[in-house]
Amino acid sequence: MSTQDPSSSSPSKGTKRRRDEEEAAAADDAETAASESLEQSLTFSDTLVALRMMRAQFPHIDKVSIRPFVLRSQLYSSVVDRTQVDRELESLRRTKVLRIFKLNTGQDDHAIMFLDDYLNQIERAVKRMEEKNVHDLEVFEWFKIHVIDTRLEPNISHQDLCSLLSLGGKVKDNQISVLINGGVIIRQLIDPSMYWFAIPNVGSMLKGLSQGRKELLSLLSRRRYKEMLLASLEKKRLRLSPLDMRFHLRDLIGSGHLKTIKTPTGLVVRISKE
Amino acid sequence: MWKEIEKRESGRVRPRSFANRVKSSRVASLQLSNHKDIVSPHKGSVNSLQVDLTEGRYLLSGASDASAAVYDVQQPQKLEGGGLIAKHKPIFVIDKQHEHRHKYAISSAIWYPIDTGLFVTGSYDHYIKVWDTNSTQAVMNFKMPGKVYSTSMSSLATSHMLIAAGTEDVQVRLCDIASGAFAHTLSGHRDGVMTVQWSNSSEYVLVTGGCDGAIRFWDIRRAGCFRVLDQSHSQLGRRPPLLERSAMTKGSTSRSSSGGQNMSKATAVSRKSSHGNGAKHSGSNRISAKGSIKHRLHPGMLSSQDRATAHYGAVTGLKISEDGMYLFSAGSDSRLRLWDIESGCNTLVNFETVRLQTNKPIQLSVSEDSALVFVPCMTVVKAFDFWSGKTYFTFRGHYEYVNCCCYSALDQELYTGGNDRQILVWSPFISYEADEGTTRNEDSWSD
Repeated sequence: MSTQDPSSSSPSKGTKRRRDEEEAAAADDAETAASESLEQSLTFSDTLVALRMMRAQFPHIDKVSIRPFVLRSQLYSSVVDRTQVDRELESLRRTKVLRIFKLNTGQDDHAIMFLDDYLNQIERAVKRMEEKNVHDLEVFEWFKIHVIDTRLEPNISHQDLCSLLSLGGKVKDNQISVLINGGVIIRQLIDPSMYWFAIPNVGSMLKGLSQGRKELLSLLSRRRYKEMLLASLEKKRLRLSPLDMRFHLRDLIGSGHLKTIKTPTGLVVRISKE
Repeated sequence: MWKEIEKRESGRVRPRSFANRVKSSRVASLQLSNHKDIVSPHKGSVNSLQVDLTEGRYLLSGASDASAAVYDVQQPQKLEGGGLIAKHKPIFVIDKQHEHRHKYAISSAIWYPIDTGLFVTGSYDHYIKVWDTNSTQAVMNFKMPGKVYSTSMSSLATSHMLIAAGTEDVQVRLCDIASGAFAHTLSGHRDGVMTVQWSNSSEYVLVTGGCDGAIRFWDIRRAGCFRVLDQSHSQLGRRPPLLERSAMTKGSTSRSSSGGQNMSKATAVSRKSSHGNGAKHSGSNRISAKGSIKHRLHPGMLSSQDRATAHYGAVTGLKISEDGMYLFSAGSDSRLRLWDIESGCNTLVNFETVRLQTNKPIQLSVSEDSALVFVPCMTVVKAFDFWSGKTYFTFRGHYEYVNCCCYSALDQELYTGGNDRQILVWSPFISYEADEGTTRNEDSWSD
C-alpha cells in the first residue's frame, strides 16, 4: 500500500526522482529521508516504518538539543487505518520499544519517543543540571532503572513513584522536586497526587508547536478559498516555530484540521470545516 | 428482491439472515426522509428523544423550553403533497401553560420501560417528574440536589422500579416509583454525573459517566462501584477465546504492574497496614502517611480511591451495545472509545472524530446487531462501524448542533433532534414515480 500511494499521488517526475534517490539512499539513508518531499512520503504501510521515517525527518535545531519525537496525530495522517496505528503503538509500548507522553498543548496530544532517545534526553538533562551544581542527582538513576522500566503508562501516582524510587535508596521530598525541576515529571493540574511523565527541555518545542499550528491555520484561512497546493505550501517557512512545515502539516492533517485533496496538479491542502 | 424471497421460500437462506440482510440494506440507504416529517412544537433545542420500548410507535421528546411532546411515528395526522408526505404532529404537548410543567430545560425524557402509560422527565430545575400519559398529569415529583443531567430506567427490571438520576452533584441517586422515595445513593464520582445507563444483561448493574472523566460500574445491591474503566488498560480488539486467554493471562499479569483493580487493592492493603502497625519501608511510609486519609474505609468503598479516568475530559455519552458485551463512550476530549465490559479494557478502536459537543450530554444510538453506532458530532450525525471505526455515513441536515439521536430498529429509521428545534427523520430511500399530472401538455413550471 505504501508503494502505491506516493507514486499515484505525485506525477511521474516524482517517482523518477524517488527512484534516483533510492539508488543514492544506499549510501546515506538519513539524508534522503530528510530531503524527500511530503507529497512522496505522505502515507506508509506500517506504524514502525512511519515512526522511523518521521524520526529521521525530524528537523535539526541548533539552539535546543532535543532528540526526535513524533506526535500521535502525525501517525494518524501517515497510516490509513487509525485503529491499526493505535494497536501497533500499544504493542510497541508494551514491548518497551517506545514511550508515549501526554502533552499539554490542547486536547489529546501525545508525543511518542523511542526509549533510547528518551534515556539519551534524560542523560543530557542530568548533565545540564550537574553544571548548575544541583545535588541529589542519583535520583535520576533510580528513576531510570526502577520507574521507567516498570511503569509504562504516561502517568504515575505519588505513592507509586515514591515506592518505586525507594527501591534504589532512601527517598526525600526534595528529591522529587529535583525530578520536577529536571523536567521528567510534571504535576497534574486536576489531581495533585498524580504526575505526568514528560520529556525534559521540551518546553520551547511545545510553544513552537502550538504557535506554528496557529500560524499555519491562519495562513491558510486568509486565502480566498482556504486552500493551497501542498508543493508550494511546503516551501514556506514558519516564522514562529522552530519545527519545519512538514512536521506541522502532518500533525494538522492527522488531527483533522486540514484535509488533502487529490487534483491533477498534485495534492491540495484545505481547511476542513467541521 | 424477489430472488431473495424465493431463496428463503426454498430454504436456501435462513429466515433470520434474510431479515438481517433486508434490514442492513435499508440502513445503508438511510437519508433525510422524503415521505415523513415530524412537526416539532418546541421553542427550544431538543435535548432528548426516545421511541417507546414496547411498541416502537411513540416518540417522546424533551426540549430546552421545558416542553415535552409525544408523537405517533407510525400513523400520521395529515397527509400532504398529494398523499406522499406524512406529517406527524404531536399527540400532546406539555408546554409552559401546563400546571405541572418544569421551570427550566428538560434534559432527559424517557418512557417507563414496561408500558407507555408513564414517562419520566428530568430537568435543570432540579426536579424529576413522573407523568401519567393518558391524563397528562405529573403524578410524582423527586427533588434532586442539583441540575438533572440524565435519567434512566432499566428495561430488564422485574424486581425494582428505580430511576437512576445523574445530576451535577457527585452522587448518583436512585428514585423508587413504587414508594415515591429515594432508594439509595451511589458515591464514588468526584464531579457531576453526566450520563447513566442500565446494563442490558443484568437488572442490577448501572453504568455512569461523570464530568471527572471516569466510567463506573455499580451493582446497586452493594456499596461502591465494582469496576472503574481505565483508558490505559487496553486489549487489542476482541478478547481471544477462553483457552488461549488462560495461557496468555499468566504471562500478562506478571508484566502488568499497573492493573487497575490489582493496584487499588494493593495500595489499599499497603495503606491499611501502614496505619495499623509499624512501617515496612521507612521512606515510602513517611511520605504515604502524609498524603493518605486517616479513617478506615469500608472494603466496598475502596473504589472511591481509584482515580482512573476513561477520558481526558468529561464523559458526555454512554451506550451499551444490544448484546450487552460492549460499551461505547463519548467524551469531551473528542474521543469515542469502545470498551469490553467483561474485561474492563479499552479495545483501541479509533473512531475518527474531530470535535464533539462538550457542554451537554449527547445521546448515542446503536443499530440492531450492533453493526453501526450513530453519534451526533456537532452539526452532523455520523454512523461508525463498530469494529473498524470507519465513518460509514454522515447525515447532514440540521442547521445547528445535534443533541440526540434515536434509532428505531422496527422501521430502520433514525430520529435526530438538535439545537435548531427540529426533529428530523432519516429513513430508507423510497423512490416515487413521476406524477401523472405533469406528463400531459404541461411541465413543472406550468400553472
